[in-house]
Parts: sequence; structure tokens; C-alpha cells
Amino acid sequence: MGAQEKSQGNANSMQDELGINFEFLVEVRLIFSCSVVLVVKLDLDSFCLYAMHFPKEALERVKVYRLNEDGKWDDQGTGHVTVDYLERSEELALFVFDEEDNETLLLHRISPDDIYRKQEDTIISWRDSEYSTELALSFQEPTGCSYIWDHICNVQRNLHFNSLNNETFHTMNSELRELPAVELSTLPIILKTVTESGIADQMRLTELILNDQDFFQKLMELFRICEDLENVDGLHMIFKIIKGIILLNSPQVFEKIFGDELIMDIIGSLEYDPDVPEVQHYRNFLKEHVVFKEAIPIKNPMVLSKIHQTYRVGYLKDVVLARVLDEATVASLNSIIHSNNAIVISLLKDDSTFIQELFARLRSPTTSAESKKTLVYFLHEFCCLSKSLQMVQQLRLFRDLMNEGIFDIITDALQSQDKKLVLTGTDILILFLNQDPNLLRSYVVRQEGIPLLGLLVKGMITDFGEDMHCQFLEILRSLLDSFTLSGAQRDTIIDIFYERHLGQLIDVIILSCPSDGAGQSTSKLASSAGRVESQNSTKPEILLNICELLCFCVVHHPYRIKCNFLLNNVIDKVLLLTWRREKYLVVAAVRFVRTILRHDDHLINHFVKNNLLKPVVDAFVANGNRYNVLNSAVLELFEYIRKENLKLLVKYLVDSFWNQLVKFDYLASVHSLKVKYEQCLENCGAKTNVNALDPRKRIDERALEKEEEDYFNEDSDEEDTASASNTQKGQSQPVLSNGVAASYPSLSPRSGGLVDYDDDEDDEDYRPPPRKHAETSEEDEGTMESLRLKRKLTTKEKEPDLAKKQRLGKSSKSRDSLFAAWCSTLSQAVLPSKKTANAMHISTRSPEGNKGLGEENHVDKESGSPRSSDNNSSSSEEDNLVDKEPPRNCSDCLHSPSDNRQLSGEDCPLIPPKSSPEMAVNGS
Amino acid sequence: MSDLDRQIEQLKKCEPLKESEVKALCLKAMEILVEESNVQRVDAPVTICGDIHGQFYDMKELFKVGGDCPKTNYLFLGDFVDRGFYSVETFLLLLALKVRYPDRITLIRGNHESRQITQVYGFYDECLRKYGSVNVWRYCTDIFDYLSLSALIENKIFSVHGGLSPAISTLDQIRTIDRKQEVPHDGAMCDLLWSDPEDIVDGWGLSPRGAGFLFGGSVVTSFNHTNNIDYICRAHQLVMEGYKWMFNNQIVTVWSAPNYCYSRCGNVAAILELDENLNKQFRVFDAAPQESRGAPAKKPAPDYFL
Repeated sequence: MGAQEKSQGNANSMQDELGINFEFLVEVRLIFSCSVVLVVKLDLDSFCLYAMHFPKEALERVKVYRLNEDGKWDDQGTGHVTVDYLERSEELALFVFDEEDNETLLLHRISPDDIYRKQEDTIISWRDSEYSTELALSFQEPTGCSYIWDHICNVQRNLHFNSLNNETFHTMNSELRELPAVELSTLPIILKTVTESGIADQMRLTELILNDQDFFQKLMELFRICEDLENVDGLHMIFKIIKGIILLNSPQVFEKIFGDELIMDIIGSLEYDPDVPEVQHYRNFLKEHVVFKEAIPIKNPMVLSKIHQTYRVGYLKDVVLARVLDEATVASLNSIIHSNNAIVISLLKDDSTFIQELFARLRSPTTSAESKKTLVYFLHEFCCLSKSLQMVQQLRLFRDLMNEGIFDIITDALQSQDKKLVLTGTDILILFLNQDPNLLRSYVVRQEGIPLLGLLVKGMITDFGEDMHCQFLEILRSLLDSFTLSGAQRDTIIDIFYERHLGQLIDVIILSCPSDGAGQSTSKLASSAGRVESQNSTKPEILLNICELLCFCVVHHPYRIKCNFLLNNVIDKVLLLTWRREKYLVVAAVRFVRTILRHDDHLINHFVKNNLLKPVVDAFVANGNRYNVLNSAVLELFEYIRKENLKLLVKYLVDSFWNQLVKFDYLASVHSLKVKYEQCLENCGAKTNVNALDPRKRIDERALEKEEEDYFNEDSDEEDTASASNTQKGQSQPVLSNGVAASYPSLSPRSGGLVDYDDDEDDEDYRPPPRKHAETSEEDEGTMESLRLKRKLTTKEKEPDLAKKQRLGKSSKSRDSLFAAWCSTLSQAVLPSKKTANAMHISTRSPEGNKGLGEENHVDKESGSPRSSDNNSSSSEEDNLVDKEPPRNCSDCLHSPSDNRQLSGEDCPLIPPKSSPEMAVNGS
Repeated sequence: MSDLDRQIEQLKKCEPLKESEVKALCLKAMEILVEESNVQRVDAPVTICGDIHGQFYDMKELFKVGGDCPKTNYLFLGDFVDRGFYSVETFLLLLALKVRYPDRITLIRGNHESRQITQVYGFYDECLRKYGSVNVWRYCTDIFDYLSLSALIENKIFSVHGGLSPAISTLDQIRTIDRKQEVPHDGAMCDLLWSDPEDIVDGWGLSPRGAGFLFGGSVVTSFNHTNNIDYICRAHQLVMEGYKWMFNNQIVTVWSAPNYCYSRCGNVAAILELDENLNKQFRVFDAAPQESRGAPAKKPAPDYFL
């Protein structure tokens, strides 16, 4: 960081002096902070630009600056910069010679140390030990700057790895004067010149080659002679010469050798690689095997020539020289291909007769299916290559294509029996989505576009045999993405999708899963016995994609999907997947549950009421002691439920499944769940008299999004009282009805883990490192530690509160009766006794409660994370509130507020769902 | 010869599979990998390999030095893809070997086995270039999500791509990570794949990588003690000599990509061979010679419109 700041300091002072805008530098710095390697990439990219279109003189032209004692940059003069050897030395240096009098303006030995900084894209600066000040070169051209910068980096690399090839540089130390005439006898000298030319001489060599008009013609003549004579040595030398010249990476040279007259011979000469045992047959491939297809005849000869050249250059790059080219040369070849593509597409798209003819043929009923297919393939390639256009142009082109009716064409293609054609259609759609998703979206919401959405859904659930078809899922995701979509268009697509297609997807699941699991409530089959082969042949990857899309919907349309689920009981249908033999489908179903619980805990009650975790627990139990993804996924789900303090689920899980889960008690996560459960019981007992009927716990339906904070408060409150009671009256632990002592076991891992641990509880405490920007840890251990800390802190001061709370209690019930009361209320929540829950809910609402909630919301919004360790403020506030509030009965302490809300949202006819602000938020 | 054996032979020649073959292979791999644990148990003898980064021919060199796959047991510590020119072939070969010899080769996840990272560092582009669509990339990245996070050799050597996490002090805590997801930006799973040991750090420090942490010797000592392991074996960082011990032989970095990053770094690579008694032998190797680099990378499209 120090170096970066320093370089920025330099930058600023230079900015004053030169009036340069340093936005670029800032950008680089930003990128730097995310990813070091990206910067390297940037440098390479800039390097690739070097010498594209500039004369050497301009590239080398620099101003030399020197930082004076006043902190100002002194202009030392303007000259030309080169990298060359110091006299009588093997060391390389930067030289700047004055452009007028050729005096040496600067001589700087390139240091292996990391002292150089490239700023903006035209400045290189460093701290020079000889001048003992900061020096800077300001380049006329960014490309020149990149070029020299890369030189410096190269030299440094060589210095670092001690691979400086003295021999090479020695021989090339003298300035290159001229090339010998191209003859068989001079090939060795030419080869030596080309391959052993040091960095400093490469520009000169390029110049010489370009100045000799006939150089390549003569060389290729020689090549043909050698080939006729089977002169292998000659051929090998020519191969190396051509390879070396290509690696000079000069755009002017490329222009020459990739011209129509030379390119085939050049490729021919590259068939004779001495490093490859057998001679290659590139020309033969290009001439005999490659087919140039013309869907619509192209008349412009220039377009045709560019098309062929592009293919050949691509072939050269990807095949002929694939293992030879350095990155910079690859980049240059890519840029040739890129600009060729842009020219071709531009010329074709502006040729209105061409486009019109294309679409006329595509639409014409007389065009044969076969040629229509070819036309769609052409269209695909056309759209593909349009990536080479500038963004605006491409967008305009895609709009034009849309207006010509390309989506109608694709709709047709998607109905074809030919799978390849269908997939090509989807590929075109992906290209449109990548460019601007709104084009396709605006089509799909139109009347004529509706079938396309259906076809995409159909495609997703169609068996494409061995072909990949994940693009259907991709396209649907993009169409349904609520984060990037806006307004009415989104709502329309989502409406159509939910009304017409969601059911289709669910049906596929139902049809492809064993029916045994269907009757959840009645199913008492041994779970493993129920896992039978599916009757239907739906490919598992299709089911996987469906599950994926459903998870996506849960995240993106929480409100919409909730209504559908609640109305149609879709969750248990998706959970049929837990009966599938393929474990990854079982895992996918668990993930679906996890996604719902993460995004919508208003559904908790629904889960409990419908016993929806049964299939998950069954799958977990059936999986036995295998430590696999399924095992981890379910344990993670348990952890989540426990950490998020989803009490209703804790209660439900333990009450309903402990018989099955008890054999997994050795797993920390399972054990902790039980502990949590017992804490809840204990806590309920401790709290009943205190803040029962706390109005904050019965939050108005409209304040739907704040339950996390409430959990938090409740959580801390309860932990505190629990720990208080633990430390103060540890001996009087209650014995639960099932005979298990409700103890407060440590959270150390149970035996039976992977390895035996020393009994060192502290070790598992999460010790968050000093990390300023890190959010408060989400890890349980983090919370645990903060809670423990807090427990220690608050035990004493809490005690009076507790006493006060107890005094406030309306009546002091015995623990046993509290437990009974607690359980009965829970079962009310679990069993559908709507009226009770509802009535209770309404009757306990009070203005103070709402007000209290409002304040609390405010506080918690600031603290950001509901589990921030800094919870004293809110909990003390809670204590204040407690005093004002009437006592409530113990049911509320386990009725998490969201559960209550859920009950009312679901059952209370007085409050139409749409009026809720949460829904407004989610639905907008 | 089964299809799979044929595909392995083909991949060994650095010829990528067809899309349809990739799909079938990935589905089979998914079934195998879903059964593996977050801390996958590995028996000795085994040979541990670090980052490969798509350097296919150098990986062949690795197999030459270490022995062929079913004969030698292998544990690869992730970062199969990105940077090199043959990420597709490299990963598919390892995956095919995994499917063919599930008990003989263990693959765990590196930080580059991620959708986000591969879109920046080459694998995504390579798939697009070699297949003309990103479907293969989608399938492979889906597989990444199933890769195990770490391995435990004979209860004594903990192996992971990056390093430790402040959220993980016991191996059991790794169990409750639902690993079937994109590598998150923080948290235990992220740290395991991103963290680095660092001499000058005492305890935990900020990582310059922007993900994971730096951790010092005391952290390693405590972790090894708590979990009763001899040492940690990890990859993730280029070391010029191929391997590097730190903190008094409590953690070792193994790096298996010679002359890393487009032949720029000039480093050698290493693998760590453990015999049945966990005796260590590092085998150092160099980049594959140029002439051994075989067939062209890409089969060009046989026809073109434009």
C-alpha cells in the first residue's frame, strides 16, 4: 500500500505540472486492490497495442522529468528513448538522446528492484539512486510507453532468473545495418539475424524487412524450390525464419504476409517444423477439407477476401502456431481477426438487400427445410461475429434483426425436430441476452412472443439425449431475473411463467419420482425401502435443472413463489426428489428447502404444519453415517436453524424426529440442536413470568421484515437469562418429561468425529482476526464467543432485571406447568388451530407494542447485522420496554414473531396479502 | 475397451472430448463426488500434487515422474484450470481418471474451481474457444461445486488447497459446510481455498488476495495440536523450488506447475510422495520439453460462412 500511495503522490504532483488527467491510474489502483493478476493482464493488453500504427520516432519520443527539491517536476528536455547495453557491459539501460543535439539526456541502468511505476498510460517513473531523486519519462504515445514498460519488465525478469543469455546479446550488440540478399546460401545468416536479434534490434529488423519489397516473395520462391528439392534443412530454416518474423509481431509485416498472394505459401512453410517429427499438411486441409458455405451469395470481393483471410489467420493462430506464439502475438492476430469480422459484419449489415433477402428466404414457405436450417446456422454465425462491432453498432444491429423478425424465426427453429437446429436457436437467444436482455424480454411479453417462453420451458424439460442443453435454464433465468428486470415487463413475464409454466415443471418432478413419498402424512414406510427406481425416464439432469430454477425463483420472486407454494403445496412435491436414487437430486431438494428458509422465514409455520422437513430428515437418516454432501447439507440446515434461532423449527425437529436423530447425537450439529431445544424450554420457563405478552413479539403484520432483529433480541435475552440461571442455580436443572436432563453442555465436538481432540474447549472458539471491513462473523463460534463474553459481563447486572421481571410476572407458575403450557401452545402452532392463533394474535396487539417495534427497527437498522456482537444497546432498550409492557403468556416466547405473522398472513382474512408493505417491496 | 478408457486415452493425447462425452462424464463424476466428504479420507501410499493450471504437458511430465494413475495413488490439491492453454483437457483427464479409478485419485477444490474466477483467468474463454459455446464450462463448473474441500491422509496429514480459516479450529467443523455452491466471498469454505501461511504474521492477518486470510505459525501449531495431525500440506502459492516448508515443518506448500504462467516464472515443480509409513519424498520436475508438446490444440471448424 505504501508504494501505491507514494506513486499516487507522484502522480498528483505530476498532474499539477503536466495537467494530465490521472483517472486511469485510479482505475488501475482499484483493480489492483481486488486482484493483483488483473493488473498483469492489463499490462499485457497495453503491450499488445504497441507499435500497431505508429512510426518508430513517435513511439520513442519522450520528455524527461526530474523531481526537484521543491517537489516540482523539472522538464529536462525531449528526446528519444531506447533500451540498450551500457558500454562495455552486459547490463541494459534506458537511454534518452536529445532530439535536437543528440546529447544524452538520461542514462539509467535498469534495476532488478521493483522501483518502476507506470502511471496513466504515458508515464513511467522511478526513484533513481544515482540521481537520488524521482525521475519520470512522459511518452508522446501510450503504445511507446507500453513498449518500453514491457522492455523494463522483461529485463527485470531476466535479471531475476539469471537467464540472461550473454552470447545472444553479445553478438547483436552492434547495430543491425542490413539484411543479406535472400538466397539459399544466405538462409543461415538471415536465420541468425532473425532469431538472435535482441530486443533492441527487433524494430530495426522489422524495418529492414519491410523496406525490402521483395523479401517475402523471394523467400517464398526459395521455399517452393526447397520443397521441390526436398531440401529438409532449407525447409527447416525457412520455418524458423518465418516463425521468428511472425514473432516480431509487426502489424505491417502481418499485413504483407497475410495477403492473398502470400498467405498460403507462408502457411506451407510452417508445415516443416523441425521440432515435430512428421510434416504437417495444413495447405491440404485448407484447400481440400474446409468448406466455405454461402447461405446467401456474397458479392463484394473485399468481403469475401476478408472472410477467407480471417479463417486462415485463425487457423494459423489456433493450429499451425498454437504452441509457438507468445501472448502479444496472439493478441495481434486476434485483433486482426476482430477487425476483419467487424468489417465483414458492417458491410453485410449495411447491405440492405442482403439482410432483406436473408429474411425473405427464411420466411418464405417455398424455401426448403434444409436451406432454412442453413440460413439459421448462418444467422447464428452472423450474430456471433457481431461481437466484433462496437457496442452501439451491435445493439443497433440486434434491434434491426429483431425488427426483421429474428425471434419469430427462432420460435420456428425451436419447434424443429432437429435438435441441433433447436440448440442453435437457443445459442442465438443467448447472444441477444448477453447483448441486451430487454430485447428478448420485450418480445416475450408480446402476444406473438408468448409461445417462445413456452418453448423454452419445454426445451428445459426435453430430453436432448447426449446433447447439452443447459442454455434453456440459462435463458429462463435471464428472463426471470428480478434484479436486472424492471417494471411491467418483468411482472408480465413472471406472471406468464407462474401461471402457465411453473406447474409444468412441478408435474415433471411428480411424474418422475416414486409415488410412495407422495402421501407425506400417511407415509410411514421405512425410508430406505421407499427409495425405488423412478417409473419415468426423465433424465436426472433435467430434474436438477428444474430444482435449480425453482431455487432461483425463490430468491428472485419470494412473494410470488410463496403464494404459489402455499396455494399448491408445491414444496412437498419438490421434496419428492428426496426419494430419488441419485443422491445429487436428494441434495438438490435439501438445497431447495434451505433456499426457502433463508429467503422467507414466513414459511416456517407452513413447514411445521405440513411436516415438510420429514423427507429431509428421512433422507438424512437413511444416509446413515456416510459423511457426504447430503450429510453435510442437512447438518448445515440444522446449524442454520439453530443459529438463526428458528425456535419453531427447533421444537418441531426435536419433537418430531428425535427418535430418529438420537443416533446422530454424536454429531455436534445434531447435539447442539437438542441443546438449543432444551435451552428454549428452560428459557421459556425463566421468561414466562417476565415478558410474557410482550407486545413487540406480536408485531403488526405490516412490519414484516424485522423479525430477525426480534430473534436477535429474544436470543440474547434468552441466552442471558439461561446462562444466568445456569451459573446461579446450576444444580436445579429441570428434568424433562422424556427423562433427559436439560443440561448446558459445552459445544465442543462430540466424540466420534474425524479425529480425537484434546479436551480444549477454548480451541474452538472463533477468534476473528483483525479485519476492519469484515462483517461480524456469521460463524456460530463468533456468536458463541460474543455471547459468552456478554454472559460474563451481564450476569451480574442482569440478575436484578431478572428479579424485576419475575416480580412483574402476573403469577408464578411451576416449571412443569410452564413446560406444559409451552408445549400446548406450540402444538397449537403446529397443528392447524387457526382461530386460536389468530384470536390470540389480534387480542394482544397494542399501540405500545407497535411503537416499541418502530424504535427497535430504527436501532437495528443501524447495527446492520442482527447478530452483531454489539447488542447491548438494543437489549437494554428491550429491558426498558419490558417494564412498560403487560405480561404475556409463555406461548409467545416460542412463537417467534414471524410465526405469528405467518399465521395471520395466511389465515386472517382481514388483511389481504397484497396490502402488506413487504409484499410491495418484494413485488416491485 | 470401454468408452471411458478410450476417452482417457484420447485425453492423454491432449484431445478434448466431445460435448456429449463431457456431459456423460460429468454426470458420472457427480454421482461419485457427491458421496465424498468435505474432509476426504485418503490412505497412504499417496502422491500429493499442487496447482496444475491447465499446463497439460507439464502434468503429463508429472505422471511420468510420479507414475501412472491407477498404479500410483494421487491427491490433487485443486487449481486444475486457468492460465495454461489446456485447462479443458487437464481437468477432463483428471475427472475421467476420477470416474475410472475413484479410489485411486482424489481431487479437491482450489480457488480457481469457481465460476467467477474462471471467467477472468481463462477457463471460460478456453471452453468458448474450443467448443464454440460455454456449455462445457457450465458442466465443469457445476462439477466444481461437488469437489471435496480437503483431505486427511491416515489421520495425520491435513491437505487443503489454500489454508486455514479462523472459523475452523477442528476438522469436524468442516463437516457442516454445505459445499455444493459457488466458492463464497468469505467464511470457512472461502478461507480453506484462499488463505496463505505467512511468516511475518502473528495469528491472523488480512490477505492481499482479497479473500481468505494470512495465518502465522502459532495458528498452525494450535491447529495441528488440536487435530492431532503431523503437518498440513497445501498448494495455492508459487514456490520456485516446487515445495517449501514453513513454521518448523508444520506446513508445506507443494506446487506442481513448472515454469508457471505462460513460461514466465522459471520455477520448477514438485510432488510429494508418501509411502505407506508416511515417509516423505519430494520429486522435483521441470517443464515438459517443447518437442514433447504434441498435437495442435484446436480442431478447426471444417466449414465457415463468415
